[in-house]
Amino acid sequence: MQPVLATLAGEIIVWVVWVAAGVVLLASGLAVILFSNPFFSALSLILNLGSLAILYLLISSEFVAAAQILVYAGAVMVMFLFVIGYLGGRADAPWAGTHRVGKVAAVIAAIAIAVEVVVAVGIDAGGQLSSSAQITEAFGSPRQIGELFLSDHLLAFEVTSIILFIGAIGGAVLGSSARRRDRAAAATDEQEQAAA
Amino acid sequence: MTGPGIVAYVVLSVFLFSIGAVGVLVRRSPLIVLLALEIMLNAGNLALIAFSRHWGNGDGQIFALAVMVVAAAEAVVGLGLIVAMSRRRVALDVDKLTTLRG
Amino acid sequence: MITASWVALFAPAVGVLLIALARDLISKKQAGYIAATSVLVSFGSSLCALINLLGEDPEERSHSSSIWTWLSAGSFKVDLQIMVDPLSVLMMLIVSGVGFLILSYAVGYMHGDGEERRYHAYKALFVFSMLLLVQSGNLLLLLAGWGMVGLSSYLLINFWHQRASAVHAGKKAFIMNAFGDATFAIAIFLLAQRVGALDFGTVFSQAPEVIDKSSVAAVVIALGLLGAAVAKSAQVPLHTWLPDAMEGPTPVSALIHAATMVTAGVYMVARTHVLFELAPAILHLAAVLGAITLLMAGFIALVQTDIKRVIAYSTMSQIGYMFVAVGLGAYGAGMFHLMTHAFFKALLFMAAGIVIHALAGEQDIRKMGGLGKRLPLTFRIFVIGSLALAGIPPLAGFFSKDLILAHALAEGVIGPILWVCALVGAFLTAIYTFRLLFVVFFGKPSEHVEGHLHKERFEGPFAMMWPVGILTVLAVVGGLIEIPGAWHGISNWVEPVAAPLQEPEVWMEVLSPIVAVALAVLGAGIAWRLWGTQSDTPARLRERLPQVATALEHKLYWDEAYDRVFSVPAQQTALFLRRAIEGPIVLGSVGELGRSVRALGGRIARVQSGLLRSYALALAAGLAVIIVVFISVR
Repeated sequence: MQPVLATLAGEIIVWVVWVAAGVVLLASGLAVILFSNPFFSALSLILNLGSLAILYLLISSEFVAAAQILVYAGAVMVMFLFVIGYLGGRADAPWAGTHRVGKVAAVIAAIAIAVEVVVAVGIDAGGQLSSSAQITEAFGSPRQIGELFLSDHLLAFEVTSIILFIGAIGGAVLGSSARRRDRAAAATDEQEQAAA
Repeated sequence: MTGPGIVAYVVLSVFLFSIGAVGVLVRRSPLIVLLALEIMLNAGNLALIAFSRHWGNGDGQIFALAVMVVAAAEAVVGLGLIVAMSRRRVALDVDKLTTLRG
Repeated sequence: MITASWVALFAPAVGVLLIALARDLISKKQAGYIAATSVLVSFGSSLCALINLLGEDPEERSHSSSIWTWLSAGSFKVDLQIMVDPLSVLMMLIVSGVGFLILSYAVGYMHGDGEERRYHAYKALFVFSMLLLVQSGNLLLLLAGWGMVGLSSYLLINFWHQRASAVHAGKKAFIMNAFGDATFAIAIFLLAQRVGALDFGTVFSQAPEVIDKSSVAAVVIALGLLGAAVAKSAQVPLHTWLPDAMEGPTPVSALIHAATMVTAGVYMVARTHVLFELAPAILHLAAVLGAITLLMAGFIALVQTDIKRVIAYSTMSQIGYMFVAVGLGAYGAGMFHLMTHAFFKALLFMAAGIVIHALAGEQDIRKMGGLGKRLPLTFRIFVIGSLALAGIPPLAGFFSKDLILAHALAEGVIGPILWVCALVGAFLTAIYTFRLLFVVFFGKPSEHVEGHLHKERFEGPFAMMWPVGILTVLAVVGGLIEIPGAWHGISNWVEPVAAPLQEPEVWMEVLSPIVAVALAVLGAGIAWRLWGTQSDTPARLRERLPQVATALEHKLYWDEAYDRVFSVPAQQTALFLRRAIEGPIVLGSVGELGRSVRALGGRIARVQSGLLRSYALALAAGLAVIIVVFISVR
């Protein structure tokens, strides 16, 4: 094939992948908030995260894409599914119980934010965003991320590890104290029942 | 760069953010609220990575990774709270948790 | 040597921490031992520093060391820095040495007090603060030590916090000292502005170059420093806190209000003599204030009836001598008197402590008498202390006081006047000292004494007696380190740091002691005539001069004057403001304002629904609005 044709073919493929991923992204996002059963919501979110990873790949951020799949879809979402399973996956009426005004206001506010940002980007930054910087092969590679993490952003790296650690402790404490109080509460319940 | 420009990614990210925001604002189940929060965080990540690519600078990706970590920690604590609530037979409905009423 | 000095500085701080952290794990007595041991470590380290310094040339005996930068702003930098030179080592030895003896004594003295641990911790804290004060290598750290000794003095004065009088005395001491701290701070600000540094080396070398002699800046700096020295050392007009400070336990009076803290002013003037010499008028003012104080305190001490207050006024008077010395530029003489005074005054206080202990807390000398037979050892100790204080040869006070007198004679203009004042002071010192001795230890035992001490020979536990013994020896031989006319141990030692402004001639060093001793003996004789024999002369004197007696008993009305000038107007103003301004305006309008705000708040509180989602909605709506604003004002 001619080089021009090859480039054109590449461009077309990228566009197709981008459109597909974008559509899946928005659709699965909507699905997350529209499903009444949290189980389906969570599954949609996995889809959402997956399509995000594809988008990351399209802009040469391979490492983040991999981390996205591993950390989110692999770990966090499993945790979500686990909790949902533990709670029984009850469906709630997603749109009930809220004032109609509140719902409408929420949707209006969200749309307003979206439109405003688009307008802002269009009139303010559009010119600057038209041509992107040239990058090398190394951009977004694990090597580059690792070097950045362990040189310029070492503090951030350490702080995030501490945050994770604190989160782990917090989860453990929440779980254990809840169990102890459960037992105490159950004991008082039994006593009350016995007294009655 | 092949494919759509950065503006397209940013617009996509804003729409995703708005979808997440609607979820947080409208749904009553704390589980779904958490899921919607994840969507919002990921929308932010998408914008970060898009800009990172635009400037050819890796710092944005570092930031996105940090956001992922924070999101994971947040999910742990949030889910822990939800489990604790359900164990204590507290209704899983954010509208019923109004202890902070002034 | 530098390491030893750092150890000396921080050992008492470690002691404080240990006592504070160990709490009930250690007995009260152990707490006392910990405090004493930590100070002993300081003393040992100070000795190491001394020995090292002795091995060096006199001109090279100045070292400073800093472990970290405390604060820095541009080129202005203050380190946590210590200075090891003859002056600071001398003070370190006095503070830690006398401090160790008094802390050991206090273990016995405070035995049985409920809050002994707190006491020992405060005491060690004081020693740490005092060491920080004397070791600091820059003025800011000196001010920090200055404030911290004020704090620990405050804590210890009202150690018996159940007593209202002790609490008042503590507050009084703190406020008067705070005044001094403030003037000190002003001087430091001005110095920092003019010189751009606060460490001693830079300040003392730069200040004479950038500040003109007797210029306004020089006078204000010296005046600020003098204000601090006067407040801390209880000199006129900021002296009224010291007699009241006797509310604290007796070892506190011995350590803080006799031996160490109150002499900090003398040390400070000697240390910053370069700055004072830039304003000679202020240096002379220091000498004059010292002379006034030594006379006034001497007169007041004649009529006081509380054993500790008599000694306290005597302390003021002796510090007056030191101020005369440093004010005349005789820094070595001042430091020498500081040292001997620490020995014999601590000794007197500890002996008084034994008396008070033996009489179950009685401090009124009118209820004492005839204790010489009941407490023979204490009696002898007290005699030695009194002789040293009165300046009878060959005890410590003789040498140091007479060196000051000789220096006074050598100073041209105001020297002779101060010399006469000091001689009158020496005469008064002899009278009040021997009055105390005769009234307390001679004559027939009073009823009170009979009640508490019939036959019993127990004077104090060994823990209290051995430090007293060592101090007795020091009070006897401590003066031999410098013999006027023969050799000058202390003066030569201090000279590289603070060279004296004048050199007394030999005839001055011979004349002064002769006159002074003659006057002291005369004073002792008068005291014997008045109080030693059972005469009614004191009573007749009182009848003859009622106003004088009353005035002296009221301590020359200083407290009343301060009350009139500061306290009463302040209260009147406050009362007026309360009635005329606060009542109608503040309470009226603000009260109404408060009510309306509260009503408004009640209404707004309803917005706080506790509904998470309405808060989130408010956030989102706010974001939407803000973006619009940003776009439009771009």
